Amino acid sequence: MQRNIFKNTSFTCFLLALLFSFSLVAQETTVDDYKLSFSFKTVKKFDNTRLLEVSFIGKNREDRKDKIPVFDAEIKFFNIANDEEILLGTAKTSNEGVAQLILSEKQKYITDEDGYINLTARFEGSDALDAEEEEILVRDLILELNLEEIDSVKTIFVKAFTLDSLGVKTPVEEVDVIISIEGMLSKMKIKEGTIENGEIEFELLQNIPGDKDKNFTVYAQILDNDEFGDVIQKQTVNWGTFNKINTIDENKLWSEAAPIWMYIVLTILLVGVWANYIYTVYNLFKIKKEGKKLELSQEE
Amino acid sequence: MNLENRKRELVKEFSPLLEKTTKVSKIWMGILVAIILVGIYAFFLQLFKGHEVTGMRDNVVWGVYIINFIFFVCLSYSGAFISGILHFYNTPWKNSVSRIVEIITVLSLIIGPIFILLCIGRLDRLHYLFLYPRIQSPITWDIIAIMTDLVGCFIYLYLTFIPDLAILRDHSEDAPKWRQKLYKFLAIGYQDTTEQRETLHKITKTMSAMIIALAIVAYSVLAWIFSLTLQPGWNSSIFAPYFIIAGLYSGISVIILAMYLIRKYYNLEHYIRKVHFVSAGIILLILSLLYGYFTFSEYFSRWFSHKIHDTNLLNTLFTRYFWQFVLANYVGVLVPVVILFFKKFRTIKSITFASVIAILGLWLNRYLIVVPTLETPYLPIQDTREEFVHYTATWVEWSLSFAGVAAFILFFILIMKLVPIIPMSGIIDQEREAFNKKGNAKQTITE
Repeated sequence: MQRNIFKNTSFTCFLLALLFSFSLVAQETTVDDYKLSFSFKTVKKFDNTRLLEVSFIGKNREDRKDKIPVFDAEIKFFNIANDEEILLGTAKTSNEGVAQLILSEKQKYITDEDGYINLTARFEGSDALDAEEEEILVRDLILELNLEEIDSVKTIFVKAFTLDSLGVKTPVEEVDVIISIEGMLSKMKIKEGTIENGEIEFELLQNIPGDKDKNFTVYAQILDNDEFGDVIQKQTVNWGTFNKINTIDENKLWSEAAPIWMYIVLTILLVGVWANYIYTVYNLFKIKKEGKKLELSQEE
Repeated sequence: MNLENRKRELVKEFSPLLEKTTKVSKIWMGILVAIILVGIYAFFLQLFKGHEVTGMRDNVVWGVYIINFIFFVCLSYSGAFISGILHFYNTPWKNSVSRIVEIITVLSLIIGPIFILLCIGRLDRLHYLFLYPRIQSPITWDIIAIMTDLVGCFIYLYLTFIPDLAILRDHSEDAPKWRQKLYKFLAIGYQDTTEQRETLHKITKTMSAMIIALAIVAYSVLAWIFSLTLQPGWNSSIFAPYFIIAGLYSGISVIILAMYLIRKYYNLEHYIRKVHFVSAGIILLILSLLYGYFTFSEYFSRWFSHKIHDTNLLNTLFTRYFWQFVLANYVGVLVPVVILFFKKFRTIKSITFASVIAILGLWLNRYLIVVPTLETPYLPIQDTREEFVHYTATWVEWSLSFAGVAAFILFFILIMKLVPIIPMSGIIDQEREAFNKKGNAKQTITE
């Protein structure tokens, strides 16, 4: 059972009212019964934008299944370095308790002397809830994904490196990467490996289904890395197969055009009936004509 | 036998029915007009305020209107069926009832579909049904069937009117001029010559056969609107014959009731006799037994199969609709059976009483087919307001329903002012036949 009971601005009243109403119901539930979970993560996306995401959830201390998202809570995102706080932006948690901020690819970050970016998410608290804060230290990673067909072998090349202030590339070591393909509902993992000396290559499977133009999208993902956070890169390639639907529903009960027999039966029925109507009306005209003749002869 | 004199005599006999309006009938007509006016007010209210003024909501989208539609259309089909049988087989007592049946057929086929129009929420999109018909849909079949049947019934009714209109044209010298002109126009120069009579007889017979076939097809299509869905209570293979039997049951009942009222208020005891009531009563008995059998078979198979949605429906019928169920399916069947089964109960009044019970039972049966099924949907809407789940007809729906019945009776009375309710041509034909037989017999004796 998921209920939204926390609200930031006016949500203290809301919370109190709700808790009061809760207290009227069979179970007396208070905010103290919930342990608040404030988790923060960052994802560097394929277009070099960076997603900052906070998940703010209240978890029942006794019933693990009972989770309540904290919604409408204002989260501030900062870039901190050398005691200097730069506000990157603010976002409010959604009904699911998630606050997201997308930073443009042109966003400049202050780093420490080791090249780490300190990203901090902060909830400043309310009357009912305590303040929460979490920071992440990540280094900016450049992930390149290239797809090439070498001697009929479809190959995926992944390169990962960092850039220093002078623009010198430093290949990364021992970083796990997952290769997946975009499916209808989610990404389907097809390979995984570890980047050594800044690169790795994979041989792609044959006969992967694509869209109607035989295209499919390949993803390279570095997930939950201690040094770089989440980094995602993607490429669309025309290597797929497309299985045409050979049977097209024609003249079925559910298709646009009805089954042929239906047209035939209906036409026969209608033509038969309406032809009889026309025949009847024709005979009525005959009766009328004869009547006129009789009338004329009587007049004469 | 002097035909012209006999025709004159008949016109003289029936002209008071056509030309004179008694005080009682004037009062009755006034009441009927008042009911129709209330209905028109309710219609405008519904038109401007929308279906909010009715009891129909998200779940129950069909209410009293659709029940009236089925009832009237079934009445029409059964009328067409019975009339077709009477003409096709030249039944001996057809003269007394055939015109009543024919008028019922056409009027109910005009009134019935009006209720469909009242049921449609967006009348401005009605023409889409004709512009973009989906031939696989039973609704489309029904529209085609109703329109075809309506045209057929009009032609058929007109054919049976022609000889009487010709008699009235030739022998209504004292009638107002507009009436004379109207008879002249409608009689289309029919002079009752042998050739004209034979042509008219031939096309009437063909049309009567066509009308029987059409009634069966149209009946079945109407039943398929329900039975081709997967709704509990509707999805049944016997729905088409069940509808035919139920329709005939209500049709015969309405004919008996009309016979009784016409006989009483127009003093036609000479033409509509007890024998006609008894004959109609026996047909009603057979139909009530068949209808009872179909009803039992329908509900028994649902109860025995024990499918969850059917069980839910039966629970609804036996709890919320218990008394309606008893009235429709026990009283509505058993009372007519008991009255009509025993010879000593077969009086004119008791047969009419049985038919009234049958009509009310049938209407309730229709209600129980439509509403409880819609109240037990496959996907129950959670936290819906009570009035969205359960249906109760509002005064707007009732007043429009009564307006429909009033319009039916009023038009019936008005048509009876145009042509005699007992076909004069039928009496002439019978007498001519008897005369010819007598003549032949005399000739044989002389020879």
